[in-house]
This record gives sequence, C-alpha cells and structure tokens, in this order.
Amino acid sequence: MLKFIRNHADKIEHINIFPLIGLVIFVVFFIVMLIYVKKMGRDELSELSHLPLDLQEPNQPMNL
Amino acid sequence: MQVEKFYYDNKIVRNFAYATIIWGAVGMLIGVWVALLMVFPSWNISNISVGSESLGLSFGRLRPLHTNAVIFAFVGNGIFMGVYYSLQRLLKTRMASDLLSKIHFWGWQLIIVAAAVTLPLGLTTSKEYAELEWPIDLAITLIWVVFGWNMFWTILKRRERHLYVAIWFYIATFVTVAVLHIVNSLAIPVSAFKSYSIYAGVQDALVQWWYGHNAVAFFLTTPYLGLMYYFMPKAANRPVYSYRLSIIHFWSLIFLYIWAGPHHLLYTALPNWAQTLGIVFSFTLIFPSWGGMINGLLTLRGAWDKVREDVILKFMVVAVTAYGMSTFEGPMLSLKNVNAISHFTDWTIAHVHVGGLGWNGMLTFGILYWLIPRIFRTELYSKKLANIHFWIGTLGIIFYAVPMYWAGFKQSLMWKEFTEAGQLKYQFLETVTQLHPFFALRAFGGTLFFIGSLIMVYNLFATVKKGSLLADEAAEAPALEGTHHKHAGEHWHRPIERKPIPFLVVTLIVILIGGIVEMVPTFMIKSNIPTISSVKPYTPLELQGRDIYLREGCYTCHSQMIRPFRSETARYGEYSKAGEFVYDHPFQWGSKRSGPDLAREGTGNNKKSDSWHYNHFDDPQAISTGSIMPSYSFMLDRDLDTASTPGKIRAMQKLGVPYPEGFDLQANGDLDAQAKAIAANLKKDGIETAPHKEVIAVIAYMQRLGKDITQSQTAQK
Repeated sequence: MLKFIRNHADKIEHINIFPLIGLVIFVVFFIVMLIYVKKMGRDELSELSHLPLDLQEPNQPMNL
Repeated sequence: MQVEKFYYDNKIVRNFAYATIIWGAVGMLIGVWVALLMVFPSWNISNISVGSESLGLSFGRLRPLHTNAVIFAFVGNGIFMGVYYSLQRLLKTRMASDLLSKIHFWGWQLIIVAAAVTLPLGLTTSKEYAELEWPIDLAITLIWVVFGWNMFWTILKRRERHLYVAIWFYIATFVTVAVLHIVNSLAIPVSAFKSYSIYAGVQDALVQWWYGHNAVAFFLTTPYLGLMYYFMPKAANRPVYSYRLSIIHFWSLIFLYIWAGPHHLLYTALPNWAQTLGIVFSFTLIFPSWGGMINGLLTLRGAWDKVREDVILKFMVVAVTAYGMSTFEGPMLSLKNVNAISHFTDWTIAHVHVGGLGWNGMLTFGILYWLIPRIFRTELYSKKLANIHFWIGTLGIIFYAVPMYWAGFKQSLMWKEFTEAGQLKYQFLETVTQLHPFFALRAFGGTLFFIGSLIMVYNLFATVKKGSLLADEAAEAPALEGTHHKHAGEHWHRPIERKPIPFLVVTLIVILIGGIVEMVPTFMIKSNIPTISSVKPYTPLELQGRDIYLREGCYTCHSQMIRPFRSETARYGEYSKAGEFVYDHPFQWGSKRSGPDLAREGTGNNKKSDSWHYNHFDDPQAISTGSIMPSYSFMLDRDLDTASTPGKIRAMQKLGVPYPEGFDLQANGDLDAQAKAIAANLKKDGIETAPHKEVIAVIAYMQRLGKDITQSQTAQK
C-alpha cells in the first residue's frame, strides 16, 4: 500500500506548489469567515454569548 | 412547549476533579525531583533489578514520566473535568451514557498507571510526549473514541440548539488529537512492549514535531480555551467580551496551528521549504492567540474591582496573561534568528513552563476552586489559603522561568563564543557547570509551585469534607424541536454550528490541510531526502546499543543534530544531512542539550576510545569533573538481550532497511564478533569484561555515530 502511494507520488510534478495552495486556501477561508462574522446580528451574538450564563440554574452558593 | 426535567451528572465531574488534583501533585513532584537530579546528579538511581527487567529512576527515564504525567494526567483529567461539567450545562442535558463516562474515567486512569509503570522500566518509543509503547497507544485510541462517542451522543440529544463556542473547541480537540495520535504512533511491534516507528529520520522528525507541537496546541491549548470561554464568564458572571472575536479566534487558530510544527526543526536537516512554511504560520499564530487572550481579559471589563477580591479571577487572569506571554514568545522563537539562539537551550524549558505552570496550571486551579464548592453545595473552606496558593504559585512561576531564561541565554552565548584566535572559548562541560546555580533556583521555583498545589489539595479536601456531593443535580429545559426553520436574515454558517457532525467534518478538513501540505512532499518526493551511498544500516550490536540509548532516555539531554553554524561545526564536526538518518527508526535528534551533541561522537575530534566510554558510563564524574550525567555502571554487569536480535532485524527489514535476506538468522553471529572485538580492545587498556554486556553494545553505537558520512568524505578525497 505504502509502496503504491510512494511510487505514484514520486511522479507528481510541481509538488512544491502545495504550500502556496495552502496559503491561498487559508486566506480565502479567513476572508469568508470575516464577512460572515461581520454580518452576524447583534441580538444573535448576545444570545449566543449568554449561553453559559443560564439564569435557570438553581441558586448557587456565592463563591468568595 | 413542554419543559423536561433531568439531572446533571456531577459524580463524573468530581471523579475527574479528584484525578486532576492527585495526578497534578504527583506530576509536579516528579518535576521537582528531576529538577533536583540536575543539581545533584548522584541522586540518580539508574537501575533497580526487577526480575529480568531494569527499573530506573534516572533523569532520562523520569523526565518523560514528568512530562506525560503533567500533560496527560494533570491537564488531561482537567480537560475532562471541565468538559463534563460545562458540556452538560451548555447543552442542557445529562451526559448521554453514564457507562461510557465511567469507562472513559477508569480507562484513562489505567492508561496513566500503565505509563507510570512502563516509563521507569525503560519501555519507551523515545518520541517526546508520545513515549508510551504500542499497547498503551492502542488503549489511548480506544478510550479517546469512548470520550468522543459520549460527547457526540450528548450533543445529539441536547436541548439547546446552538453549540456555544467552548464546544467547538472541544470538538476540534477530539478530532485533532485523534488524528495526531494515530499518525504519530504508527509503529511495527517487535515484542509486547517494544516497537519501531514506521517513519525514519527526517520524516519521523517531521511527524513527531507536527505531533509534538499540536499536542501543545490541541491538548494544552484548544480544550483549555474552551474552558476559558465557559468558566471565565461564569466566574465573572458576565458574557464573553466579543462572541465575534471568539469565532475568528477559533477558526484561525485551528487552521494555523497545525502548520507550525516545523519550527521545532529550524536549521536542521529538514527541507528548507518546510522550515519556511513552519515559520510563516507560526508567526501568524500570534494574531488569533492574542485575539483569544484579549477576549478573555476584556471579559472582565468593568469588573476589574472583582479581581482584587476574588481569588478565582486572580488565578484566571494570571492564566490568560501567561497564555498571552507564551503565545507571543512562541512565534518569536520560531523566527530563525531567535531560534538560532534559543534552540537546544533551557530557554525552551522556560517557555513551556510559562505555558504549563501559568496557563494550564493556574486555569486548572481557578476552575477547581470554582467548581468543587458548587458540586459539593458549600463554600470554599478557606479563602485565605487559596490566596496564599495564588501568591506562592505565581512566585513559583517567576522563580522557575527567570533562571531558566537566564540559563538559556548564557548557555547559548557560551556555546557560540570564540576567542580572538578563532578557537571555541568554552568546553561544553563549562557550559553545564556554570548553570548549576540556575538549575538550583529552578528547583526552588518548582518546589514553591508544588507547595502551592499541596495547599490547594488540603483546602479542597477540607471543602469536600464540610459539604456533600450533589451527585445528580436537577435541571429543567424545554425539549428541542425536531425541525428548525431557518429564520429571516440568518447566515449560512448557522446551520453548520447547529449540526455537530458537519461541524466535525469541516474541522477535520481544516486541520488536515496543513498536515497534508507539510507532509506529503516530504514523504513522497525522493529529492527531499538525498540519499548518501555511504550511509549503511546499523550492525546488530549497534542496533541493540541504540535501543539501550532509547531505553535510558539519552535523547532527553543529548541531541544528534549539528546545525550549520560555525560554532557547532567547530565543536562537533560536519553539520547533519537529511540522508544520514534514513535508517533511524525512530530519529534521535533530541530537543535540548544538557549534554553535548552526539551526532559525530564516533568520528573526528570527538572520537574517544572504547575504554573512555566504558569508564565514563561507569562513573561520568570521575572522567568529566562537574558532569551532571547519571552513572550507568549497571550496564557493565547487565547481560545484553541477544534473543531479541532476529526479531528486531526482521522488523527493520519490514520497514525497508536493506539488510540482506536471511540476515536475521546470522545477526547474532555478527553481533558476537563485533562485541568480542570491542572486549578485546578494552582488554588492551586493562579492562576485563565479557563481550555480551549492555555497555559493549552502547559503546558500539557511540563509535558508529557520524562515521558513515566521514567515510564518504574520505572516499571522495
């Protein structure tokens, strides 16, 4: 199995372009993510960020 | 909408909390002990015979025990404690299966016990932070799957539609650690507790540090960021500063981290393009890391007055600050010019301990102080003791880190200093003896930190005693509707965040891109590792000697990688080439030089006689005054296990090492002849020894190091 991959992959040309492809993927990914985050609504963000602070939890002892 | 009643499982949280506390103390105690061994080398106990096995309490065997204990036992249990507590509450459901939770808990503890037994016995792969041998690796895989299964099952039966950002970090942790562990642990078993890595030399180094770096990223960082995003808002009683920032933090962090591994291998024989890739992505990492730190600290905006009063917040603030410091330092250390100074020195040790003690340690303590009183329905036994712990712990970090930074700089400058006549100014040994005071101060800092954790053990024990565990905590939440209708203006990303499986797949793709881009070319293109025709496989005796070198953990102090600097080639000889390591399963480049590099130990100016090595293993201080190396006198008496030779040769053949067919059967004959030659050589110097002693094999290995490439140069001339 390993030999099969090795023998074939030996013949891949211009494999050094891999890092560039990686970088391009990241930049595209990052920009799309920024646009997405920018478009999120204020209410939605507030709702999400309050998830850990569930007020329905029973009264907890005050700590320190 | 119907409200459902259910119960959170606090028992599993308590169990993991106890394990965190106990293993934390054990791991830190071993840390203090190994720090002391560098000050008092005579305290090393290299061998206690246990039947045919050799139990060792020397630095080389205990240092991996310390790192494994603090990473996988202390932080590991800390992760599970925090995940089991927060996951149930964020998803408004009990863990899906109490049985899986129990299997996970006990399985993980058994793995830790197995590590605590096997590492002092010298059963090790020698791959840093992945030293455990193959049966334990299989157990880790199995238990990790149980953890993931339980987590995803819980996510699927949740009552809260959205997955809070902390859960994203948990999912990324699960997926990535699984990939890292499996890829790095691939090995061919030779016996019940011995295996050879399927990778060799440069490839092994690349896989190992891709793993090593991402073990830091996905075991010590991402799960703890998840905990930060849950417990810090809880402790401060206010939401995270910016949820937007947390999304950017998450995706860019997991994308970038996976590429950064090669920064551990700068100036080594790793192909240049891979080193550059590592530098670029490591440097970029500062942005998401600091985004996360700022997000954590700004969560306390308007509540800084609370920090003065609340010891839990104090712990958390120091933790997040330490995260910021170490993630600033990390990218700096990955720059080539800085790395040229820092690599192989104690600077790296200082760096990891700012992260380990500061980020992981202090956050764990903060969470424990917050969580234990809550699940035991009581107040913390003593705020005063917690405050003392905070200060003594913080001081401990300073006393640990400052001397180690100093030692690192000093060491590096001494290694590199030349006299006006162009000679190296310092012998290697001087660079060790001058560090003694720093080692002593570091042990003091570590002891302070350890004492702090013992105070916490007492404080939490007293808290537990005055409270009672609420094993099943009642809660209520409406059931989740079967279908969710997309509301107007909702973004495309929302459905992914609601669905854990697509989320897992996207995460997997993101982390795989970096790994594949880094590794595929190194594995597949022959030109990346130019072969050197004079480099030959190890003889059977050298192979056995190499395995003893691995067993004793020599790599924890000695590197085998000469970087292309004048100061290194002048001290050690010709710099290391990728093609020299093609038969090294596993590689032994090391990561720190508390002892000299050994890549050219058998050649040039470094070559010593067989009798020098014999006497040096017996009593290093008698030969090199001021040396901190443990004595390995037991190897003079201990018989070499030659029964394992044929199996080892066959395993190497399977891995592609070109021993001739049928060599396994004649290997012990060759071994015998070479051992007798060394014994005869020793006799000339007045040392009488039987040939089949372990020390003979290690001498054979020492004398082989660097020899092949010197032969090739002689031939060329």
